[in-house]
Amino acid sequence: MAPLAFLQSNPIADLLNNTEWGFAVAECFHIVFFGAAIGTIMIVDLRLLGLAFPRKTSAKLLQDTWAYTLIALAVTVLAGMALFLSDPRMYYFSPWFRFKAIALLLAILYNYTIHSKVASSTPSPRVGVVAGVISVLLWISVVTGGLFTGLLA
Amino acid sequence: MTAVEQTPWVYPVIMATHLCCIALFGGMILMTDLRLLGLALRDQTIAEVVNGLRPFKRIGFVIMVTCGLLMAGSEAPTYYPNPYFWTKMTLLLLVGVHALVFKPIVYDHPEALDKCPAIPTRAKAAAMLSLILWVSIPIFGRLIGYYEPGEGKAPQTVTHR
Repeated sequence: MAPLAFLQSNPIADLLNNTEWGFAVAECFHIVFFGAAIGTIMIVDLRLLGLAFPRKTSAKLLQDTWAYTLIALAVTVLAGMALFLSDPRMYYFSPWFRFKAIALLLAILYNYTIHSKVASSTPSPRVGVVAGVISVLLWISVVTGGLFTGLLA
Repeated sequence: MTAVEQTPWVYPVIMATHLCCIALFGGMILMTDLRLLGLALRDQTIAEVVNGLRPFKRIGFVIMVTCGLLMAGSEAPTYYPNPYFWTKMTLLLLVGVHALVFKPIVYDHPEALDKCPAIPTRAKAAAMLSLILWVSIPIFGRLIGYYEPGEGKAPQTVTHR
């Protein structure tokens, strides 16, 4: 595939593949900031699930955490793109990477549409639980897809 | 341990659980620390954040450590000579020391911190050290996979994802 051949030789791949610590540093950024992103989303999810912060609304918690989530997600995605560029062909043909990419896309879309809308409103407990459970499951899918991409590469 | 070693899918599942816990609960540690530093969740009291997230962090910690022990136990000969593994273990030990030092003076009395006119230095010190420790632990955890016995340094990474 021409686009993959084009992507296969790029300066980021050179940096990640031909330096001793390039790939490891990118992975560490990816993992640490991913933890931060999901952790902040989980704070809102715990409220939606009725498990924590009973005296605060999910809207307030979302307002307090969104900036951290956004910054952490941005760093995670940028580091992830650098990792992808280290070997685009391998990732493109990996079924687990495809699973992760789709799960990530769905998780981000869900987070900034339905999840955000539900959390910003005053959801009924049932709606809150459903929104929280879907969020947790989507992010767990992303982590699992990422892990298996690495393990089975 | 035998099941972890001999069943092909058990190790990846344990590792996935380990990583999910880091992702789900590591962020809560981050938010607690940022609150103690006065950088996030400022509309919540310190007590609300510390007490509200405590049970989830404890559950996450127990699951993480259990999965970690199962993984390390199943491949003990591989882990034993790995310097990154021992660095991670040392950092976990330091987490224990951190808890022994700061639990009685910070985490057990968050309400007292809320009554202070400014966040006390001991609370900020606890948060900073916690951040340093908990950022370093997943980093060294990942680096475990980069070690090749005999070389004493990381190999060309492209072959070791």
